[in-house]
Amino acid sequence: MKLIVNGETKNFGQPLTLEQLIQQLGVRRETVVAEVNRKIVPMDQRGGLNLSENDQIELIQFVGGG
Amino acid sequence: MATTLKQIQDQDSYQINGKTFTSRLLVGTGKYPTNESMAECLEASGTEIVTVALRRVNLDSKGEKTLLDFIDPEKYTLLPNTAGCYSAEEAIRVAHLARATGISDFVKLEVLHDEKTLLPDPIETLEATKILVKEGFTVMTYTSDDPVMAQKLEQAGAHAVMPAGSPIGSGQGVLNPNNIRIILEKLKCPVLIDAGVGSASDVAIAMELGVVAVLLNTAIAHAKDPLKMAYAMKNATEAGRLSYLAGRIPKKLYAQASTPQKDF
Repeated sequence: MKLIVNGETKNFGQPLTLEQLIQQLGVRRETVVAEVNRKIVPMDQRGGLNLSENDQIELIQFVGGG
Repeated sequence: MATTLKQIQDQDSYQINGKTFTSRLLVGTGKYPTNESMAECLEASGTEIVTVALRRVNLDSKGEKTLLDFIDPEKYTLLPNTAGCYSAEEAIRVAHLARATGISDFVKLEVLHDEKTLLPDPIETLEATKILVKEGFTVMTYTSDDPVMAQKLEQAGAHAVMPAGSPIGSGQGVLNPNNIRIILEKLKCPVLIDAGVGSASDVAIAMELGVVAVLLNTAIAHAKDPLKMAYAMKNATEAGRLSYLAGRIPKKLYAQASTPQKDF
């Protein structure tokens, strides 16, 4: 399936939940905030969210700033 | 009753939306040579509130350490900023993302007008303040030093109003102390100087005006020796605060002898 993650198009062999996507990308789950199609998905709902073709996912984290 | 040295050394505290702080220096986490250096500087500065930003995860940096490996949210109150936002809508989205981390409901609201000046957009800033206050955030709003705008932000419910001393990262110090004085006279909510200070003396001058605290980043992060500057900023904040509380002597045109007249 094709997903757009942080603006990059990526292809995956099989359907994924949001939790599985985060795992596959090697992103640290506890420090990341996820949006799917501009809607924030709370951490405890990631496992139950099946991603669909062309979903736009944003994975955001804290960085240094003033 | 005269205060004792012990009482002076027990720092006075202030509150933002019911949360009590004693350190009057808020420090940003951007632009340090390394994350290790940043962590040391935060420690040396004595800060209790640190600003952070939100950005996309770099998908090519699997397993790399993140900012939160260097900042303990149990030790510091995280103040996520909305830097880089140019509309109320964008800033509100970033605030929502920050809160979704479950780490902080504080937000340093910053809605800018253009990249060259980094001056705030007053209309978008006011709009975003109203909405985020209604949504239950602790809103600390970055603004220009315009006393009218500062009052509008307080009326909109901002929990702290944070006028810039001078443009972000410019290191010019507090350019218009008179405006800051008027803001302090008019507002009841905490007023902080946010941005523009370049050195320890700038911080002391800001604190002597009577603001509750100063927020800075570049002045430490880009100093030749960030760690020394962090410690200098801590001392300057405390010195400025005490000097404000102590009350300076009036400036006079002519000399006044410190030694009694000779009487022999």
